[in-house]
Amino acid sequence: MKNIWTIFKKEWDRVIHDRRLVISVMLLPGLMIFLIYTFMGTAIENFTTVETANIAILNDTAGFKALYEASEDPLVTDIESITAEEVVTYQEKVDNEEWHLIIVFSAGFETYAGGVDKPGVTLYYNPNNPDSSSVFGRFQGYLITYQNSLAFELYGDTRYFILETSNTAIDPNQMMGLIFSSLLPMLTIMFLFSGAMSIGPESIAGEKERGTIATLLVTPVKRSQIAIGKVLSLSVLSLLSSLSSFIGIIVSLPKMLAYENLDASIYALGDYAMLLLVLFSTVFVIVGVISILSAYAKNLKEAGTLITMIYLVVIIVSISSFFSQGAQQNPLLYLIPIYSSVQTMTAILSFDESVLTFLMLTFASNLLYTAIFIFILNRMFDSERIMFAK
Amino acid sequence: MEAAIQVTKISKTFTLSRKQQKIEQSKTKTKVAVNDLSFEAYPHEIYGLLGPNGAGKTTTLRCISTLIKPDMGDILVQGKSVMKEAGDVRNAIGFLTSDMKLEDFFTPNYLFDYFSKLHGVPEDLAAKRKAALFHKFGIDRFAEVKVGELSSGMRQKAQLAISLVHDPDVIIFDEPTNGLDVLTAKVVTDYLIELKNEGKAIVVSTHIFSLVEKICDRVGIILNGKLKATGLLQDLVAPEDTLEDYFFRLAQEEGDIQ
Repeated sequence: MKNIWTIFKKEWDRVIHDRRLVISVMLLPGLMIFLIYTFMGTAIENFTTVETANIAILNDTAGFKALYEASEDPLVTDIESITAEEVVTYQEKVDNEEWHLIIVFSAGFETYAGGVDKPGVTLYYNPNNPDSSSVFGRFQGYLITYQNSLAFELYGDTRYFILETSNTAIDPNQMMGLIFSSLLPMLTIMFLFSGAMSIGPESIAGEKERGTIATLLVTPVKRSQIAIGKVLSLSVLSLLSSLSSFIGIIVSLPKMLAYENLDASIYALGDYAMLLLVLFSTVFVIVGVISILSAYAKNLKEAGTLITMIYLVVIIVSISSFFSQGAQQNPLLYLIPIYSSVQTMTAILSFDESVLTFLMLTFASNLLYTAIFIFILNRMFDSERIMFAK
Repeated sequence: MEAAIQVTKISKTFTLSRKQQKIEQSKTKTKVAVNDLSFEAYPHEIYGLLGPNGAGKTTTLRCISTLIKPDMGDILVQGKSVMKEAGDVRNAIGFLTSDMKLEDFFTPNYLFDYFSKLHGVPEDLAAKRKAALFHKFGIDRFAEVKVGELSSGMRQKAQLAISLVHDPDVIIFDEPTNGLDVLTAKVVTDYLIELKNEGKAIVVSTHIFSLVEKICDRVGIILNGKLKATGLLQDLVAPEDTLEDYFFRLAQEEGDIQ
């Protein structure tokens, strides 16, 4: 135990006392995510903010006015009454994307009392301009409603049946859960892996390459203690690195989701505790894999190549949360490393009912895999062919 | 007297990669590095393994230090087998070779403490040893400088001190003066003699005749993985002869030189 602690401490000191490593492993990931997300959030916000809608109306009617005024925000809707002569000018403006929509009510629109010569309404918009299309869509809706109400005034209720739709009230928790659950697990696993990737190979393949591993192997310390000490310290360091990413995500998500009027405060302390448990156990598995590949590789370069290949697989597995609706319900799937962690995080974040079962399965299987990896690493440290491969 | 190191009929064969085959200009995929080699080293003596590069000296020393295992035969270090009691053997030996490096990021001071802990040396004893060894080799002047910033001589002194953190009874040095300046080399050889006088059993490997003549009590001449001769220096080399002449005669017999 004392030896494990000694090795743990040395690996820890190696990173913590190296200012450049601390910055690149502990601070940069969180900061980068914060900056990227804040930027993305702002970009999305800008993209979705509608500028003032410009609508020109000829022969506007009181009934129609009442309809759109009830729905449109007067601050961002500019309605102008125009004359018949001005229509052409405004059409040009629409063509040049300087104006959004023209509505022309035919003369004598309101005095129609039934008959063959029906009044007409003409809309002019620019389909090439997304804003123009959007304004057109809204005002077309008002016109259809207006059309129905006028028909009712004229002929009474002519509808054959009454269609009513209703829906469940939107639960902001579930909505937020879905967004978080599709995004966070993938990002977390990716950052967890990249955190471990930036320090793991150095600790084993680097020591092999530089010949310092031999100095350690001639001490009476058991190979298993070396393996456990290294895996433990790398796990804690990777966890710190991924926590930095995690904090970056948590801090920047509200900004990113600001336009949705959602915030992350829907999760209770228990949810965060469960997430941390998943993170803890997953980091051991990731560090285990990285350590084995690093021990197998002849040098840092080879370790980097091998680990990058696994990283790609991990990314593909992590992306699965992006395409699935909620967490998988088959418990056996929770025995697949990495996939189980992604799914359990999805379950936690989307308030799945079976979350505790999934969490237990994931945690237990991750610990089992870690034990297997440490056993393999122990054997590798004992193998002269692997340790002194040239 | 009981031998501190008893090497009995060890053999070691390596598989060669294609690249190594080219370097060695060999058509076979294996290379016998050590072939049926036996010798002993006793307390109060320095045993020198003398041979050219690639003769199997380092492989033999690495087998003694448990870094690699012999394919055949066994080695007992203070009665403990490298095959079955590797942990005990590691505790009893101090091993220094150019393959074993110190991490550039740490200082000699940090690394001395680190390896003392790994060897289970009590803190107060480790501190005393550190003070004595650092003073002896002049490491105190650069004890807090990172290994990466040290000159090769300083680095080797630090490596030497750190390989002795646990005050081992058996000391194994691969090419102890290689790469050292004359002053440092003298410090090291003087210290080896001092350790011998303290009762340690020391095995050094070298290809330098003068070093053997200067510090070794007994010598083993190793050629092509085989021990061609072993014994007291004065028994092997006639008074009118030199070790160098004796060695080259053996090499000629072996077919190593024309």
